[in-house]
Amino acid sequence: MIFEIAHGIVGRKDLPIPDWLFGWAAALVLVVSFVALALLWPEPRLQDGGFRPLPRRLSRVLLSRAVAVVCGAIGVFLLGVTVWSGLNGVQVATANFASVFVLVVFWLGVVPLSVVFGDVFRAFNPWRAIGRAVAWVAQTAARGPLPAPLRYPERLGHWPGVVGLLAFATLELVASSGDQPESVAIATLVYSAATFVGMALFGVEAWSTRAEAFGVYFNLFSRISPFTRRGDQVGLRRPLSGLSEVGSLPGTVPLLAVMIGSVSFDGIGEAPLWTGMAPDIAGFFGDLGLSQQMALEAAFLVGLLAAIAIVLGFYMLGVAGARSVGGRLSTRQIARAFLPSMVPIALAYVAAHYITELLYRGQAIVELSSSPLGYLASNPLGDEGTDLFGTANEPIDYGVISATAAWYYQVGFVVAGHVAGLALAHDKALAIYDEARLAVRSQYWMLAVMVGFTSLALWLLAQSNG
Amino acid sequence: MSKGQRLGLIALAFVVMAVAFVIARPDDKSEEPAPERTARERASEPTATTDTRPEERVALRAHKPVGGMRRIVTKKGELVRLVVESDAPDEIHLHGYDITREARRSEPARFSFRADIEGVFEVESHEAEHGGGESVIARLVVEPS
Repeated sequence: MIFEIAHGIVGRKDLPIPDWLFGWAAALVLVVSFVALALLWPEPRLQDGGFRPLPRRLSRVLLSRAVAVVCGAIGVFLLGVTVWSGLNGVQVATANFASVFVLVVFWLGVVPLSVVFGDVFRAFNPWRAIGRAVAWVAQTAARGPLPAPLRYPERLGHWPGVVGLLAFATLELVASSGDQPESVAIATLVYSAATFVGMALFGVEAWSTRAEAFGVYFNLFSRISPFTRRGDQVGLRRPLSGLSEVGSLPGTVPLLAVMIGSVSFDGIGEAPLWTGMAPDIAGFFGDLGLSQQMALEAAFLVGLLAAIAIVLGFYMLGVAGARSVGGRLSTRQIARAFLPSMVPIALAYVAAHYITELLYRGQAIVELSSSPLGYLASNPLGDEGTDLFGTANEPIDYGVISATAAWYYQVGFVVAGHVAGLALAHDKALAIYDEARLAVRSQYWMLAVMVGFTSLALWLLAQSNG
Repeated sequence: MSKGQRLGLIALAFVVMAVAFVIARPDDKSEEPAPERTARERASEPTATTDTRPEERVALRAHKPVGGMRRIVTKKGELVRLVVESDAPDEIHLHGYDITREARRSEPARFSFRADIEGVFEVESHEAEHGGGESVIARLVVEPS
């Protein structure tokens, strides 16, 4: 018996990569790893990526107040449309702006934008925009500076972001009606309220850079980008070098574990390994007196948490190994030091797992921008209503990428993430160990960790989902 | 290691993996395994190669597929005919292709379409979905041709 539960927005799923491609890709990962070990640079190169400013005039325009206001207004507008269409529109995940926008266009689409252009979400972050606007109004009304917010506790670090991302993953992968437009709208409202409380207590900037889950999530990926901002200057740095400081705040290790673990769980959600186990776990919760649906959700929550725990455990195993080679670094220091390597690997998981969903399902937003409350020509549940831009009948073009091309992209992302992770681990080892011998030996452990995560990524892609 | 040695190592690794890729990749036309078919289907298949395939039939009892969830494997470009018989009025939806058909007790839902989108697609009973239970009655697997 197969148990079904929300998995983002379903519709079309990828064919598993064929066995021969799985085997070839696994061999490629090993070859790449050993070639990299032989060839990588002898001095740290990514710890300070250099900074070459772009023309001053460009910086002035990009960082101007007008651009900030326009971007912020766009973010707030989209937040509003999401809540409105989710509460009032057709309750079909694929046919309503709220679900498609939040789960596909926003959650998946902002990732490539961040990787290429840097931290663009910061400019469009609706909660930050509202927070700043409210602060500005209050300041004007009070005719003077507002009382300073509480100091953001050091120990809190990224922990609120961990909780936020875990809640989002629960909504997307555990709750049986989590992808329903109404659930998305309500979750958005609840999250907004929590964010405003945090901002009111600790200040808009502190909260949006450290605690706001989506800001933290997209910022991590944006550190791969060559574009960055320093003060009032926009400039270029060596790609990946922005990651060297990842891990300086408490909670970043679990944050990465949630990111990789939740994608893994989504990947394994329909594989025989999990579908064989889920009914037993659900049965256990059923015996405790939960309803059938609640028991199933509880089982999926256990699965999600287990996936995250396994990812975290595996990483910490590698860290313990790296510590065993000697040197004066504590487990915690090593865990944080090698964390930059996990960001491109997390990116590879996200990219390989969701590229087709973004390319296919993302097209629905063209249709839904014209008719946010939902309407599908072929779906009689919809209500033929508005057509703002004349695109309400735009069908999804499934020709944009073939299944075979998708396989190659998926394998390509995984291998590229592996190479980037290796380079970062190598660079960090050179920086933190005085002795070259320790730097080399600690890297073998991190190499093993990365080969493990990369093999898991390939294995997940090869799992039957049909 | 000199620059020449480095470049040589990279070139060697590249060539080895490229050759491995060509060897590993199955020949598109001949070696591709045939899609899984049941013995009954294979027996009823016409000997001449046509792009049509036998009708797939799924029977629903109380909005549940008899004999469990069905898996229908096909190749891109084939004409798929799917008939869903139901002992109670239902609405059957094929995701991705976004085709919805009504099923009545006397009149099964009939789907006939060209499988031109690759991937795995769910066939769902809207009545089962409204009842809050498992709603997927079959999966359509469209492999590259």
